[in-house]
Amino acid sequence: MNATAEAAPDEAPKFNPTAYHVTKSDQGDILDIRNFNLWYDDVQALFDITMEVPRGLVTALIGPSGCGKSTLLRCINRMNDLIDEVRVDGRMAVDERDIYGKGVDVISLRKRMGMVFQKPNPFAMSIFENVVYPLRVDGVTDKSVLEDTCERALRGAALWEETKDRLKESGLSMSGGQQQRLCIARAIASDPEVLLMDEPASALDPIATAKIEELIDELRGQYSIVIVTHNMQQAARVSDNTAFMYLGRLIEFGHTETLFTNPKLKQTSDYISGRFG
Amino acid sequence: MSTNTETTSNHAEPKPGMNAASRRYTTDLTATGEPFLWGLGGALALGILLVVGFLVLIFWNGIATFWPKPIEVVTLNSGTVVAGEPTRDNVFKPGDGLLERLTEQDREIIDSNVGFAHRVLYRTGNYDLYNEDFRWVSDFEIAKVETPPGMYLFERQEWGVFIGRIAGLVLDGESRNLSDYDRAAIQEQQEAARERFEEIRHIERDEIGEVNYYMEQARLDLKRVALDHGRDSGEYRQAERETEQQITELQREYEQLAARAEAIKETDRRYRITLEEIGGEQKELPLSEIVRFYPANDLSPFGKAAVYFSRWGEFLTSEPREANTEGGVLPAIFGTVAMTLIMVVFVAPLGVITALYLREYAKQGRLVSIVRISVNNLAGVPSIVYGVFGLGFFAYTLGGGIDALFYPERLPSPTFGTGGILWASLTLALLTVPVVIVASEEALSAVPRSMREGSLACGASTWQTLRRVVLPRAMPGIMTGLILAMARGAGEVAPLMLVGVVKLAPELPVDGFFPYVHLERSFMHLGFHIFDVGFQSRNSEAGKPMVYVTTMLLLALIVLMNASAIYIRNRLKKRFAGSAF
Repeated sequence: MNATAEAAPDEAPKFNPTAYHVTKSDQGDILDIRNFNLWYDDVQALFDITMEVPRGLVTALIGPSGCGKSTLLRCINRMNDLIDEVRVDGRMAVDERDIYGKGVDVISLRKRMGMVFQKPNPFAMSIFENVVYPLRVDGVTDKSVLEDTCERALRGAALWEETKDRLKESGLSMSGGQQQRLCIARAIASDPEVLLMDEPASALDPIATAKIEELIDELRGQYSIVIVTHNMQQAARVSDNTAFMYLGRLIEFGHTETLFTNPKLKQTSDYISGRFG
Repeated sequence: MSTNTETTSNHAEPKPGMNAASRRYTTDLTATGEPFLWGLGGALALGILLVVGFLVLIFWNGIATFWPKPIEVVTLNSGTVVAGEPTRDNVFKPGDGLLERLTEQDREIIDSNVGFAHRVLYRTGNYDLYNEDFRWVSDFEIAKVETPPGMYLFERQEWGVFIGRIAGLVLDGESRNLSDYDRAAIQEQQEAARERFEEIRHIERDEIGEVNYYMEQARLDLKRVALDHGRDSGEYRQAERETEQQITELQREYEQLAARAEAIKETDRRYRITLEEIGGEQKELPLSEIVRFYPANDLSPFGKAAVYFSRWGEFLTSEPREANTEGGVLPAIFGTVAMTLIMVVFVAPLGVITALYLREYAKQGRLVSIVRISVNNLAGVPSIVYGVFGLGFFAYTLGGGIDALFYPERLPSPTFGTGGILWASLTLALLTVPVVIVASEEALSAVPRSMREGSLACGASTWQTLRRVVLPRAMPGIMTGLILAMARGAGEVAPLMLVGVVKLAPELPVDGFFPYVHLERSFMHLGFHIFDVGFQSRNSEAGKPMVYVTTMLLLALIVLMNASAIYIRNRLKKRFAGSAF
């Protein structure tokens, strides 16, 4: 462990990410996070996070284990509500609307965001039912709507050609990589604004990983994607902007290429050059 | 060690096409550091031995019971002749008084057996003549033992079995010469007589029973009018006239039926058979009284098999006779299955909903912990306590309330206000609900968090997530809980004795009268049947074989119910077979 890294939390430099070289989208920002803090009981896990996520681009969250990147991601669609001990303060808004405001309908909020998890988690249903699940819970029963959505989502997840003849088969009968793309298809079935991906390729083999990365590249522009990854090469390959987090703080946030080739802070350069983490 | 050499040689010269699985490695138990393995294996072996021993005892006795045994005719030293089926034997120590009366030779034999003598228990039947069914015969009493042909065993409608010969036959009022009738011919006559008997029973029980039912109904309707409007009202007088007319009509119908039954009985009385026991005493009885008869010593193996299966058929499909020690157990089978199914109908939703709330909705805190501990403790409450509760709360309080509200015309005789199959099922549901709750909670908590998150992230509500994702996945585990509950419930007897099980239930809970399912009726249960036959009957020796057979049947029934539940569970499980992730 590097001495600089250990001392980091105390002397974290005051840093305004907005002033930094973030690649801006011509469509403005989708997410606006301001002075966001989070506690598990008495333990603070996120410190004063402020960042803006541009619409239609891919934003990567990197950092060592336990730095809070997954926690931050799960705050965006309020998945942390499931944990009783979590408290938050600060502001987080999607498309100018508060996520943690009073009277926010969590269910409709989640419907506007798709989420892909670390491990593929298809339901024990047919491939078709897996994909149209978000519509089913909305009460859609029109067969043609469901079929159209299924095809569009599976095409979007680059899975249509492999599955079009076996839509009635169980989603669990597929390979790991296919299952993960099925989960992506499910996440985009309701045409969300934001796609949240929590280390989507970490449980997959290199070929399946390559396919997922290719897919993320194709989805760029249609969806605003926030992806948490452990794999810095992956972040470098797929993202437009990268945020580096460390011990619950946002250390550096900027254009991916700049952040990887010319990081502003020593902590960032230590991490991406593999000296810790 | 030879094993080692073998292994080495395999390594040294691998044969082509030989795969790794064909090599065998064995190691000393001491070398693997698992000396306690013997202890663990021994405990398992002991457990299996106990269970297998129990099952072998039950099945051996249960399967052998209905096989016809030979009839031995034993001539005693005193000149008395005893005829009977040898049932079992043992050794006993003759008292001094008895020893004195024996011959020198017999005493020597007994002395050489360190004072023990051997004896055999014969089932002699003929209770009406001897006042006993069984008789011990000691070896030293016996002059000779034979198995002569022509000895018959008659199973009678009343008085149990008769062992002896056929001495006379009266057909259609005329005495017949026995040499004109071989066994097949007599059997034909007996079967015809039996059909007449069944027809009389059908008329008396079903048809006259129906007339009685409608008469009772008419009276109850009248009483209801009296309760609603008072005895002086016009409505009552009107209803009284109608009821009287109705009852007169029914009375006429009854008389017709009774006359029909009487005519058949008249015919029946003209067919009689005379039986003679080994000592020469005779007994005449209607041919229709004989349920089954066979010449025990003259049967071929096929003939014995025919008797065996005919007895099984009677056991499974007819009602008990002779204080339950003879005949069948159909009402008990029906009662057991019906009660268990009704119990499942109550316990499944109750247990699963409770578990859902406890696990998925309730805030996990001290209160929930207390509830959970209490539920676990409920599983340890003695079942008789549930029986007392069921009687006091369900039967007397709830049932009494229902009677007062809906059946005031039948009071003071209770309808729901006494034990019945509904209350028994509810009591057992209470008894088994902790098992279902605990198993369901386990099953729910075993559903991976990623499944719930996946569903919630799609915008599903908690309830939608539970219904569409969590519950289907937890279903095999919940089914396991239900199977355990079913097995426990079906085998439970003690609480049932308080809430509705009876020795002999004349009517099944399902019949042809509206509303067809009568949940208020008392019922028979195989578990209670075992208790009743084995410990409450006039002659426990006669009931013993029935205890084994009934126990075997109850076990088989529980295995059958569990097997079908397990089959359903495995089909559910198959859906999650590929979920490696």
